[in-house]
Amino acid sequence: MRKTLVLLGLALAIPTAVLAHHGWGSYDAANPITVQGPIETLKYENPHAQITVKTPAKVWIVTLAPTSRMQIRGAPAEFLAVGKTVSAYGYPSTVEKDEMRAERITIDGKTIELR
Amino acid sequence: MLDEAPQLLVALEQSAFASAIRQSTWAYMTANVGHILALMLFISSVAIMDARLLGAFAATPPAGVVRPARRCAALGLLLMALTGSMLFSAEATHVATNPVFQIKASLIGLGVLNAVLAGRLLGSALDRTPAFMPLPKSVRACAMLSLSIWFATAACGRLIAYF
Repeated sequence: MRKTLVLLGLALAIPTAVLAHHGWGSYDAANPITVQGPIETLKYENPHAQITVKTPAKVWIVTLAPTSRMQIRGAPAEFLAVGKTVSAYGYPSTVEKDEMRAERITIDGKTIELR
Repeated sequence: MLDEAPQLLVALEQSAFASAIRQSTWAYMTANVGHILALMLFISSVAIMDARLLGAFAATPPAGVVRPARRCAALGLLLMALTGSMLFSAEATHVATNPVFQIKASLIGLGVLNAVLAGRLLGSALDRTPAFMPLPKSVRACAMLSLSIWFATAACGRLIAYF
């Protein structure tokens, strides 16, 4: 009876909705890309800072690191000001369209490692 | 209901509370660390309690182990709920739709139900059972299930980040 309930619970919990973007697991590390262009928006927030970057083809959502790490590595919010040109090397999301997770970013000739 | 749920999550994620957690340098980190510390308190208390119900530490009458362990487990669960709701609200829409989180939430529900059931089945046997006397089979089954459910819950918690 109890076993049946457990199985029932698991069955009910079977995924029906989209996957979350989080961690490095849902990014295609085999196909790294470089996204370059002006920063359009900045969300300097936890658990991961995020910028949108305009490229000729489309606008990329670039997921960065937790804000505490960004600050320690020398990338405070001002470093990522809207309008600056960024070059982000990272991996496209396998779940979220037009989203990538940056391994490192370069702004004003300064490269910051994010992992 | 299904149509309302996502809007509720969006509202939660956009609330002042959730924004404050995201925008603070320390809040999310503190909640994250606190969640793990609370988990350690919870899972260790649960393990001691369930081990006693299953027959370990038999020289001590069960009431002497189960009661204090249950209080610590309840405190651990409360602290996990507090820190967990902070982590959840910061990313409500993404977390709620994560399949591993959905399994985790179901497991928490099952775990709490199982704990309530175990308490009912145990009843006055907790105080009547002397040292070295096995507890009822139904109670031992609940203890076994409790260990499985809570360890699986902890595993799911960590796995949310990978799916």
